[in-house]
Amino acid sequence: MSATVHVQPTSERLARVSIRTLLFVLRARAVIVLFALLVLFSVLAPSFLTTNNFAILSKHVALSAILAIGMTFVILTGGIDLSVGSLAGLGGMVAGYLLTQGIPVAGVIHYPNVGATILITFAACLLVGLLNGWLVAKAGVAPFIATLGTLYIARGAALLMSNGKTFPNLAGDAARGNTGFTFVGQSTFIGIPLPVWIMLAIFGLAWFISVKTPLGRHIYAVGGNERAARLAGIRVARVKIFTYLASSVCAATVGLIIASQLEASHPATGESFELNAIAAVVLGGTSLMGGRGSIPGSLIGAFVIGVLSDGLVMLGVSEFWQMVIKGTVIVLAVAVDQLQARVQAKFLPYLQVVDAEGHA
Amino acid sequence: MRLWLSTVSTAMASCLMLGVGACHRAEMSKPLIVIIVPSQDNPFFKSEADAAAKRAQELGYRVRVDAHDDDAYRQDNLIDAAIASNAAAIILDNAGADSSIAAVRRATRAGIPCFLIDREIEANGIAKAQIIADNHQGAQIVAEEFARAIGPAGGDYAELLGRESDTNAQVRTTAFHAILDKQANLHRVAAQSANWSQAEAFQKTETMLQAHSSIRGIIAGNDTMALGATAAVKSSGVSGIVITGLDGSPDAIAAIRSGTLRATSLQPAVFISRLAVDEADLYLHKGSTGKPERQIVPCDLVTRENADQYEDFEKVR
Repeated sequence: MSATVHVQPTSERLARVSIRTLLFVLRARAVIVLFALLVLFSVLAPSFLTTNNFAILSKHVALSAILAIGMTFVILTGGIDLSVGSLAGLGGMVAGYLLTQGIPVAGVIHYPNVGATILITFAACLLVGLLNGWLVAKAGVAPFIATLGTLYIARGAALLMSNGKTFPNLAGDAARGNTGFTFVGQSTFIGIPLPVWIMLAIFGLAWFISVKTPLGRHIYAVGGNERAARLAGIRVARVKIFTYLASSVCAATVGLIIASQLEASHPATGESFELNAIAAVVLGGTSLMGGRGSIPGSLIGAFVIGVLSDGLVMLGVSEFWQMVIKGTVIVLAVAVDQLQARVQAKFLPYLQVVDAEGHA
Repeated sequence: MRLWLSTVSTAMASCLMLGVGACHRAEMSKPLIVIIVPSQDNPFFKSEADAAAKRAQELGYRVRVDAHDDDAYRQDNLIDAAIASNAAAIILDNAGADSSIAAVRRATRAGIPCFLIDREIEANGIAKAQIIADNHQGAQIVAEEFARAIGPAGGDYAELLGRESDTNAQVRTTAFHAILDKQANLHRVAAQSANWSQAEAFQKTETMLQAHSSIRGIIAGNDTMALGATAAVKSSGVSGIVITGLDGSPDAIAAIRSGTLRATSLQPAVFISRLAVDEADLYLHKGSTGKPERQIVPCDLVTRENADQYEDFEKVR
């Protein structure tokens, strides 16, 4: 027995190595695509590979990455959150309303300071998130339908807040004591824009929750097999509600960042952002069926989309081609995902057997 | 005591209801003008709809305002609803030069005259009037100001285009280039569509400024995108970049007053709406507007010198 292990035919060893390599390439596809794009654009666009450009690029990626991270939790449980784009719009409008219109209390208009404004914005978006979670987990509405409904509700509410107008001049007014909102989207810390730090903080927290906490395990379990999770004593409803709340917090953050960057909030902000977020999550290898995927994958997925769109803008490629290219990358990514699953199912048992013999 | 109270309150309530009822009946006996615009979440279309509604009410009409969201099918339904409500006239900012012809024809055949504002249709003799702002001239005057602001030395500039599938985006960029391409020392180094959106213009401008540090001006196809560009230029910390918009929105005019935006071209939306309602009124009383079907109203250039004269898409002083 031992003789066969030590004197393996070269061809078999070669086959094993090539299968391993193939599997590695397939698993790390998002990173490889990202790296390839970075090299490609660095060669084609002279100013692409500069620290300044990377700061701006990361700032652009931050928006879809933050949404994608929240969305990952939802998708891991087998759900979907279509309302995040509208919710980002609503968040910006709530902040814009509070900063420019104030809250009338007994005939006197009070202007909450920036901290209070941000807290109220989060509270408003959490309410919609709670509604999403309640509809899905308690009322038994399909996630696609429930969040499609709140997509319209949130967008309508955003439009109603200003009657369709833009709230301009969000820089605030010293007389009202509400200056400083521009800090959220426009300030930098050690040369890196604050939105990027916010993205990193949310990423760190989300990653920690997903791999190190019981809640994280529960999220995977619910998505993997909801019935088994319930029978194992996991409070499925609570886990699902958490994911929609997390997603709504991320959406509110994005709304605040955009409003702060533009110093204006427009009710149509965030249209189709949910699709970008879902694309990033899928590119990162998370299965729409739930139970399989990771937070870092979504971050890389968001970077792939962000690098692609910014790089194409720098090269001066037209909007129409940008859409075609982006769509192609998404479709290819999902096709490769299927390929990986098949290769893994076919060769993994074989590799494991050989490994086991090798160790024997 | 209680009986007395309830009698009084019943009497008061019935008086109120009678009053409201009479009011309602008086209101319902007025002829109806239906105003259909693309959306109510855009300051331009909102000003346009508000101005038409106000004028129609002044002239003694009942008014209903609908929005078709640039969806020809929805516009069809709204036209049907207007026919069903027996409207006296329709003021329409349509959902597409070709796709709106059938709807306008159906209303006209049902005996409801249509007065088109802001956008034309590709057919003559169906609508009673087609009153539009001169987009070509409007874009040209702002391009001339853009070239003037950059100065005789010239330099590189970037262009932000509207949604490229919109006719208006094409008309505007063609007009820009009719002026700018004649200037030998102005070079367009980057052009991107930002789909009329402020947030998208912000990101694309940031990226274009990274790719081309030589940019000295940004010409935008509308005011919303121009305001996105001003925010991006501000965050990049570069000074002296000339930015112009187009449309004359209140936010843009405020930005011109504060100096961050160089110029815009104001579309006289309020004037056009009032004109359309006046012509509808004339037609309903006399059977003719007395004017040719196609009427083109020129745009005004707004810069820091005259910004105080404009407000909500009209010249107020």
